[in-house]
Amino acid sequence: MVYIAMATGFLLILIGFYGALTNRNLLRMIVAFSIADTGINLVIISVGYLPGRTAPILDTTVTAAAAAARIIDPVPQALVLTAIVIGVGVTALMLAYTLKLYEKKRTLDIAKFTELKW
Amino acid sequence: MVSALYILIAALGAAFFLGFLKDGMRATAYALTLAALVFMNFISAGWVWVFVVDGAAPVEILTSGFPPPFAINLRMGLTEAALTLLVNLSGLLSALYLKDVLLALGRRSMAVLLIAVMALCGIILTRDIFNLFVFFELAAIATAGLILLSEDKRALSAGFKYMIVAQAISVLLLIGIIFSYHATGTLNIDGMAEASTELKTGASIAFFLMFIAVVAELKPFPANGWALDIYESAHPAFSAIFSAASGAAFLFAADKLLHIGGAAWFPLATGIGIVTFVAANLLALPQTNDRRLLGYSSIAQTGLVLAVLGQQDILGDRYLFVAGGLLFAHSIAKAGLYWLSGLIAGRELPDWAALRSRPLLIFAFVTFIAMLSGLPPFPGFYAKWELARLLAGEGRIALLALILFGALLEAGYLFRWFGYIIKREQPAQRVACTPHKLAPVIAAVVAGWALGYLWGDLSGHANLLLAVPLLFALSFLLLEWLPAWIKNTLAIAGMVAFFVLTYAEYDPLRLIFSVIILIGGPIIFLASYHEHGRRIGFYPAAMLMYAGLTLLIRANDSFGFFAAWEMLTVGSYFLILRGKHSEPHALSYIIFSLGGAFMILAGFALAAQGAPQFDLASLSLLTQPLAPWVFILLALGFMTKTAAIGLHIWLPGAHGEAETDVSPMVSGILLKAGLFGLIVLLMTMGKQQLYGIELTHVLLWIGALSALLGNLMAIFEEDAKRLLAYSSIGQMGYAVFGLALMNHLGWLMALMFVINHYIYKSMLFLSAGGVAKRTGTRDMYRMGGLITLMPLSFIATLIGIIAVSGVPPLSGFGGRWIFYNAILSSDVRLPMVILFFAGPIAFLYLFRLIHTIFLGQLKDEHRKLKEAPFWIILPQMIFVVLLLVFAVAPGLALRRVDTYLNQFFPEGGLNWAGTTISSNYGYWNPVAIMITVCVIFGSLFAWLLFVNRKAQKVKQFNIVFAGERPYRPETTHFAWNFFAPYRKALGFMVQPFVTRFWSGLTDLLHAAADLSRRLYNGNGQTYAFHFIAFVVVVYFLWTGV
Repeated sequence: MVYIAMATGFLLILIGFYGALTNRNLLRMIVAFSIADTGINLVIISVGYLPGRTAPILDTTVTAAAAAARIIDPVPQALVLTAIVIGVGVTALMLAYTLKLYEKKRTLDIAKFTELKW
Repeated sequence: MVSALYILIAALGAAFFLGFLKDGMRATAYALTLAALVFMNFISAGWVWVFVVDGAAPVEILTSGFPPPFAINLRMGLTEAALTLLVNLSGLLSALYLKDVLLALGRRSMAVLLIAVMALCGIILTRDIFNLFVFFELAAIATAGLILLSEDKRALSAGFKYMIVAQAISVLLLIGIIFSYHATGTLNIDGMAEASTELKTGASIAFFLMFIAVVAELKPFPANGWALDIYESAHPAFSAIFSAASGAAFLFAADKLLHIGGAAWFPLATGIGIVTFVAANLLALPQTNDRRLLGYSSIAQTGLVLAVLGQQDILGDRYLFVAGGLLFAHSIAKAGLYWLSGLIAGRELPDWAALRSRPLLIFAFVTFIAMLSGLPPFPGFYAKWELARLLAGEGRIALLALILFGALLEAGYLFRWFGYIIKREQPAQRVACTPHKLAPVIAAVVAGWALGYLWGDLSGHANLLLAVPLLFALSFLLLEWLPAWIKNTLAIAGMVAFFVLTYAEYDPLRLIFSVIILIGGPIIFLASYHEHGRRIGFYPAAMLMYAGLTLLIRANDSFGFFAAWEMLTVGSYFLILRGKHSEPHALSYIIFSLGGAFMILAGFALAAQGAPQFDLASLSLLTQPLAPWVFILLALGFMTKTAAIGLHIWLPGAHGEAETDVSPMVSGILLKAGLFGLIVLLMTMGKQQLYGIELTHVLLWIGALSALLGNLMAIFEEDAKRLLAYSSIGQMGYAVFGLALMNHLGWLMALMFVINHYIYKSMLFLSAGGVAKRTGTRDMYRMGGLITLMPLSFIATLIGIIAVSGVPPLSGFGGRWIFYNAILSSDVRLPMVILFFAGPIAFLYLFRLIHTIFLGQLKDEHRKLKEAPFWIILPQMIFVVLLLVFAVAPGLALRRVDTYLNQFFPEGGLNWAGTTISSNYGYWNPVAIMITVCVIFGSLFAWLLFVNRKAQKVKQFNIVFAGERPYRPETTHFAWNFFAPYRKALGFMVQPFVTRFWSGLTDLLHAAADLSRRLYNGNGQTYAFHFIAFVVVVYFLWTGV
């Protein structure tokens, strides 16, 4: 199960990279990177997963004393939360950029923005 | 001390608070921003103080009351304090610089700037790998925001390209982090470093991904097109932060990762770093856009520091000194240059000629490029020295060679740029100087010099900024407002005073050189009284050269010698560049000279075998197989200065185009630095063999060929000063030959040449310069008949050429006499024949000086010419007297040297009895010769006057064209192409093969660079592909290796 999740995660990352490298449309590139981000989140979660254990939430069923033996690793989950937040920020910024770029040239083709080179 | 956490809190708090301000309250918002940045600087500076002065231990900062790995921890140590200070300072100064932009854009832009600075500080402070990732992302987002500060609309696409690559980077970083966490069970950097044996193997893909992601932020070649586009289009104040602060922060992040990965990963850092360093410098060659050029240079310098990070295993406790020296020199210089670029209206390199209206800014520019090129007395210089000796000590020669090659490329384009500034036409738009934009530039200059002092102090060598001659030279920078004649007097007084105070310290050999430099220099300075006005830039440059020369002959150890060598090189470059048409020649001079200097550096580094420095005398202790290589490197380095054939192409232009009083300085005095180096080298290392070849024998050949070809090239020259310049190549060839003979008389002859060449070449350059000043041309065929109008110049030239040609009775003959004796006691035949052949050729060109300039018909437009200016004539007359005195009493200078040389070559000295000097083969009595020649000459002259008393003078127009109208008037002048028949016969020997070789080489480099930079086609997607390909290729190369 863990390996399926991890493999799916990597597959999503590869799909994301493939999409980003083959689509010249700015919006499609952003979508591709979002897919890759999702893949990463999946990979991170799967790394922290331990079979047969429960979510890292301390309540009446899982006491603090027994936690170490019963919950999965909480750190990757915390990381994923942070990564998701950052991903949203970056995506928003890229979308804002795209809007401005579109206003400037009325195109979304990345190959049209090559005034700077060499 | 205030906790370092408040750096982050201040920035975040201020940025947060900015959001509450009304949009109209921009001045308040700006004040708040500046206040936050000042506070952040205060904290960093306070910590630097605590660590440096009190020697406190690094402090761990726990963020939530738990120790790591349960919570994120930060660390404040000396490195962190210094780097955050660098980041905060560049942030503050850039904020100052950006005043107009920030006020126009409002509080949001200020918040982004604060976040950028905060994120970079966070990268430096944090000890948690995931926290590092968060700060990376913050820095990336803030960077993408700040790129938009630019007025350049193209910045928009540059920002997007950056976002694409940043996305790819963060993907790799996250994967790397999570698997490294999986392997070690912690996110704490120090914890990872301890826990992980797996990551340290060099085969861990998790660590590889983390590391390559961090390295990608350092803009490695070729995955760096995005960075170049940012550098080109962003606001220069942001580029200053991006280059100085971001570079420093990401480099420190790479250092943290290497701490985790350990020594197994060092070669990877070095490999990526050095490839980037060389490639970026190469691709910078054909750049014309200033900011893009600076971008290439930034990338290169970051690459160099990355390469140094990978060498920490051999740098030991000098690691921070070397890496810090290179990093700070780069950061300060690059920030300063970007700030400067904001003052320039045009974006092409020659547009920077606008700086000429502001000498202070030129000084700033010079400071910055000197820092980047690693010249003394800046931190990069000390760092370069340490790095070279440690690399050579460990046998990492290839790396050293690549570093020096890249550094030479970089110096090449930086100094070419400086040439544009000084020589190109000033653009119409002036430098826009407002105080808040000027202040950061000045601050960078001050910081550069202060760090130069600091690094000198830390270096363990003598602090160059405490050397009296250098301080004296630098003090002329403060005296620039004085009129030239006062500065001239000060210069002369200072040099003579220094000689009087120190002459007792020199051995006879060094005494000769010190007299030429410290007494001969002032004599030439007499000619400088002719110049009026303030002559800005002349005295600091000239005095820097003399300071270098003085320190050179006073140096006892390798470090002092090399530092002096670089100083005199730079000083003379500025001096040579002053000539009206000197731009290309000064450039080739500095490139050859720096190339030579790097050879010397490499030679010393090899010879030191890991020691920080060594006594020059201990060069004699070197043994096979190292010794011959050291010998070759040092000899090549010195021969770039003596302009040995093959390395000579800079000389004719540099000496010929220089100003009237500069030509004798750089010819009469500066060339002796190379000879002095060779003397030191041969005196200590003597004869060396490589694969059975006697290296001094090779030197003999080089000397002989230089003499022959230098003289041959001189005879076909139409330009009087260039003729003299070519003649110097020949003369230096004689001196090299004499030294390479490795016997007593050979050395005596070389020293005789040192003295003679100083006197007569200075004199001839002055008279040629004086004549050129009056006639307005240096082409000899445009002159003629000046003997009656400029009799004193004529006398000086006549005496000069008699002395050069080595006929009795003047001192040149003494040189020849010793020379003939010297080769009689040597067993080399063929080079000797070549050298004999060169002698008469000298007559040919010397004859033209008299014949074409002073004899023959006076040109119509020259009828009202006056004698050359008094101050140019005066030193010539002093030289005439000196030549006559030295001709009659050569023992004054040579006798003590002769005795001194006995300790090196006990055999074959001269006997000095009364006025007669005798050797094994004969004797020479200068006084008798002088009297004999004077009597013969006097009688013949009287007889000539008597028989010619009724001769009719041929007038100007007693000439018939036989019905033809001359197509180009100069072609009918008898003195034009004077030696055409010889050219037919010998022309093949003076074909500019060497020039073609070197220009072919530079063309090749440029063409290759121009072709390769098309890799950066401007498409963001291609850049993303570069990045992916870079990662894949590096991975396979790495695991394959």
